[in-house]
Amino acid sequence: MSLRKIFNEARLMLLGIVIFIWTLIPIYHLFVMSITPRVETFAGALWPSRPTLENYETVVKQGHYYLEHFWQQLWNSAFVAVMVCAITLAIASTATFAISRLRVRGGRLVSNMALATYLIPPAFLAIPMYKVMGVYGLLNTQWSLILTMVTFASPYAIWVLKQYADKLPYELDEAARIDGASPLQIFRLIYLPLMAPSLVAIGTYALLLAWNEYLYAFLLLSADKDITLAVALGHFLTTDDAPFNVLMATGAVYALPPAAIYYVFRRYMVSGLTAGAVKS
Amino acid sequence: MASVSVEAVRKRYGALEVVHGIDIVIPDGEFVVLVGPSGCGKSTLLRMIAGLEEISGGIIRIGERVVNEVPSKDRDIAMVFQNYALYPHMTVRENMGFSLKLRGAGTSVIVEQVRRAAEILSLSSLLDRYPKQLSGGQRQRVAMGRAIVRNPQVFLFDEPLSNLDAKLRVQMRTEIKALHQKLKTTSIYVTHDQIEAMTMADRIVVMHDGIVEQVGTPLDLYDRPANLFVAGFIGSPAINLLRGTLRRDGGRNWVATDAGIDLPLGGNAGGKDGQAVVYGFRPEHLALGNDGGLPVRVDVVEPTGASTFVYADLSGAQICGVFTERHGFHSGETMHLMPQLDRVHLFDAGTGHRLVG
Repeated sequence: MSLRKIFNEARLMLLGIVIFIWTLIPIYHLFVMSITPRVETFAGALWPSRPTLENYETVVKQGHYYLEHFWQQLWNSAFVAVMVCAITLAIASTATFAISRLRVRGGRLVSNMALATYLIPPAFLAIPMYKVMGVYGLLNTQWSLILTMVTFASPYAIWVLKQYADKLPYELDEAARIDGASPLQIFRLIYLPLMAPSLVAIGTYALLLAWNEYLYAFLLLSADKDITLAVALGHFLTTDDAPFNVLMATGAVYALPPAAIYYVFRRYMVSGLTAGAVKS
Repeated sequence: MASVSVEAVRKRYGALEVVHGIDIVIPDGEFVVLVGPSGCGKSTLLRMIAGLEEISGGIIRIGERVVNEVPSKDRDIAMVFQNYALYPHMTVRENMGFSLKLRGAGTSVIVEQVRRAAEILSLSSLLDRYPKQLSGGQRQRVAMGRAIVRNPQVFLFDEPLSNLDAKLRVQMRTEIKALHQKLKTTSIYVTHDQIEAMTMADRIVVMHDGIVEQVGTPLDLYDRPANLFVAGFIGSPAINLLRGTLRRDGGRNWVATDAGIDLPLGGNAGGKDGQAVVYGFRPEHLALGNDGGLPVRVDVVEPTGASTFVYADLSGAQICGVFTERHGFHSGETMHLMPQLDRVHLFDAGTGHRLVG
């Protein structure tokens, strides 16, 4: 019996190791290329003969044509991501509070419709969205990207948060009402603190969605000083002779914030993203 | 403190009416228990008094004020929920002080009131714990502490003991009663447990299918049940009920069962000769009779120490007797039992109403 258990554990472990390596290979290549001098770029070595940090130096000092606005663009990415996170959280938390706790008429319909929007791939909406932003005069401003990303992040955020909100015992709201709390006080003093773990998960989701966005950022922003780093990375590939080492170094820097955020909040992510998997 | 009056109160969910016009007046300081089987509307009525459910018809007053349209937070009531409903992210101290904080009380007032309530409920050593670190009984006490901390006009209890184990339930029952005797705050307590109702109430309201079956003191309900439902609901083991026909012949009254047994009646029995009736007597109102009693065959004997339950067969009908003396019954034996005639209840078989002589 215990031998069998060990065998099963070992099998799972082996599978885990294979998946782990498979996932790490691209990241390994990214890292190796980022520390390889330019002349050795395609030497095909598993480890460069002369590892160097000069590519990173180029990035940090904005020492390349494509990196003239690196810090500005990194800031743009961060600004857009944080704003999308904040606005999505504001929308989703108030919406789910109204649907799940205040039990507003038609709330269920709204949350089901929110999920239905996921039937349409965001890429299909690129041109309509571009047109809308044009009509409102928001093209080439970061708000166009922020509003667009909020539009895509909110329905999923509402859906997931609602699953969590529904699990809070309704008696807590009733007890608070009898204790003298107004709906706003219930939201602030009862709902938000109890929803904190799922808010962290959903906030992280919205943040990373916006941080990683390429298509809409590319479409809605054009000035070099306005674009996000994701678009700037894309610009590297507009020549035949792309500086791959610098691109990889920039990519590595670009990947660090999400990795850090994911690491810090990993506990919430696991529980947050599995919620809503099953409609309860 | 305040009286509570409920006048012709109804509750409808769409076309379905679940509470059909209820009238109850609860004087200031009384402890009233609403009791009935699940689905009888007792919790709904309590929640209407709390303001957690809208009232479809009628008037609810707390003190002199009509509260139909008053939100819960302005009714000056406190409620203890079945599942405690403690705020999990707050300590016991914060849970208890929450209502005062919302009302803008000063820190010193909150500290003092929480200290006083904690002392009454022996919670002083637990004030810095979180609800998840407490046992069921302690949580229940915190829920009560939250209620008493701000001196409300009325306490509402919604089956507060049903999540506790049997022993703790008995203990908390006594504590709640003692607390009421100390604070004398008008209390409305909902339960489906008739023992809880009997032991705690000043007055009991028995509800069934959205109507009030009877209102009275515990012993009132026990000794003079107004109808078959109340007779059957109150008392454990349940009252013995036997169907038959009322017979009057000269000065002699009796009930003849279909199985051909004549059940004796006292002289003051109500009802007409030939009327279909239900004959009821409580298990403890049976005496060992000599040959003149009802002949029964003992099926099961259950000694509890304090008393002995005897389940016996009376010509096909099962009856139960409770004896405090140890008679040494044996299953299978035949014996004669005699109901105490002044303790026999007679009900109309059609309407279920008590027949008064």
